[in-house]
Amino acid sequence: MSAQLAAALAAEEAAIYAYGVLGVKLTGAGDRAEARAAEAVHRARRDVLVSRLAALQASTAPAPAGYTLPFEVTDRASAIKLAAQVEDGVAQAWRAVLPVTTGADRATGLNALVDAAVRATRWRRLGALTPATMPWPGRA
Amino acid sequence: MVLTDRVKRRHLIGVAAGGALSATALGGCGLFDGDPEPAPPPDALQPLLDEALTLAAAYDRAALAEPGLAERLAPLADDHRVHAAELSRVIGRPVASGAPASGAPSGGAAESVATLRKAEQAAQKTAAAACRTAPADRAGLTGSIAAARAAHAEALR
Repeated sequence: MSAQLAAALAAEEAAIYAYGVLGVKLTGAGDRAEARAAEAVHRARRDVLVSRLAALQASTAPAPAGYTLPFEVTDRASAIKLAAQVEDGVAQAWRAVLPVTTGADRATGLNALVDAAVRATRWRRLGALTPATMPWPGRA
Repeated sequence: MVLTDRVKRRHLIGVAAGGALSATALGGCGLFDGDPEPAPPPDALQPLLDEALTLAAAYDRAALAEPGLAERLAPLADDHRVHAAELSRVIGRPVASGAPASGAPSGGAAESVATLRKAEQAAQKTAAAACRTAPADRAGLTGSIAAARAAHAEALR
């Protein structure tokens, strides 16, 4: 379970970084409010994971100082595309948590998976990217 | 938590049926003769499968009634059909033809986007409840279905 939680932590750290980069390229007030809310959620999940992993006495790698983005973020369209991809990646990391957990940990993973899938769809809707949904969120 | 209650009741029925069978086997002399053999308890994923088929059919009706919505609704209906195929594979029973009667509106009135959204939200709760109690090998399946249904509700906003 610790390995999957550590991978979820890495995904949340990457999401926080990505929102910092893409947030400044968003234009509308609605977009920016959405990005700020999303970033706050990812920070909260990171904090939960750090506590949980500490309780499990699992070691985790420190978050890297920077990341290589899959493509250059130059405008609103590429910022929204990155946001959707980041949420898809977060969903994948949390889905892997589900089979190795039960009870409260399973519920935490499920909430995070559902939330990431909803945010990914919201970004695709805001960016008019189709299809906005996928049959298996979190399945790589 | 309606669904959890249903699942629990099914478990109880299954346990009661098992008890009756073993009593018959032990007694051997027809104390329970005349009782029909109980049907196997439905799979815990059956409600998810029923909902997937009901939702797919509801989208089809809505798209027929309002062709302007067809392009927007078709991918969502397709997602549900993909879910139904996978669920019936995992359950190990063939998909029943057509949607189950339960949940189908009387008179075949087409759902509005708002009622479709409500149906997705209700179905999302079913899938989430199933995920919380699922064995490990079904946790990802049910979790992804819960996430897909929640994302559908978002897409219909």
